[in-house]
Amino acid sequence: MSTPARRRLMRDFKRLQQDPPAGVSAAPTENNIMIWNAVIFGPHDTPFEDGTFKLTLEFTEEYPNKPPTVKFVSKMFHPNVYADGGICLDILQNRWSPTYDVAAILTSIQSLLDEPNPNSPANSLAAQLYQENRREYEKRVAAIVEQSWLNFQDEDDGEEMKKDT
Amino acid sequence: MSNDVEIQEGEAENNTSDSQKPEKMFTLKKWNAVAMWSWDVECDTCAICRVQVMDACLRCQGENKQDDCVVIWGECNHSFHNCCMSLWVKQNNRCPLCQQEWSVQRVGK
Repeated sequence: MSTPARRRLMRDFKRLQQDPPAGVSAAPTENNIMIWNAVIFGPHDTPFEDGTFKLTLEFTEEYPNKPPTVKFVSKMFHPNVYADGGICLDILQNRWSPTYDVAAILTSIQSLLDEPNPNSPANSLAAQLYQENRREYEKRVAAIVEQSWLNFQDEDDGEEMKKDT
Repeated sequence: MSNDVEIQEGEAENNTSDSQKPEKMFTLKKWNAVAMWSWDVECDTCAICRVQVMDACLRCQGENKQDDCVVIWGECNHSFHNCCMSLWVKQNNRCPLCQQEWSVQRVGK
């Protein structure tokens, strides 16, 4: 069952444990190394501070030659994050390099939080407020930071409910 | 007036040196040489599969083709497993580390 992609992901996980990057955390799901859960902590001194944002990463057998699909599970309000949690980030698309690993992906997303690129908006309201009404933007971000804590508790219940049905 | 400066020949020859040889303080009876070594490559880990370039890549390790797994160097001096790189250049002909146009400098071990 072991393929080059899976073995590379084991190496990513090992590196993540041995040399954990600040403010991010990730692990493969219990029964599928191709699907990971991750948490990004909102960087200090930014509107996202104290947020605990959950994400999923889905890899294919073409990893690391192809990037994973990365999505926010927690509600996000950011110029480069779509309503479904999808992320518009060059290194996850045309600027992907097979030298990136899970740690590099997550730290890049973490730094995207406070350095949005308003030129390729995925959420036009967030992009507009970011440029024209920073106070309102920060208010909206503060709301999703608070939601990220609630989400964290709900998540386990939600998974149990899925199993029941 | 002529300012002839006479250069004095070195007259003070040291005659004291050979006069007496001091007794040897110690003699060397045995010595052990210790050498350090490392692979003579720019980067010793293949950044694509994260295995040492001098070992077989993850793919070849799985398929038991360790002997066929060679290293490829680009003009940018970055090195990878040939197997890892050949899959990558199919979709993007750039060095994954420096993003320069990839051109092969040499292939081998």
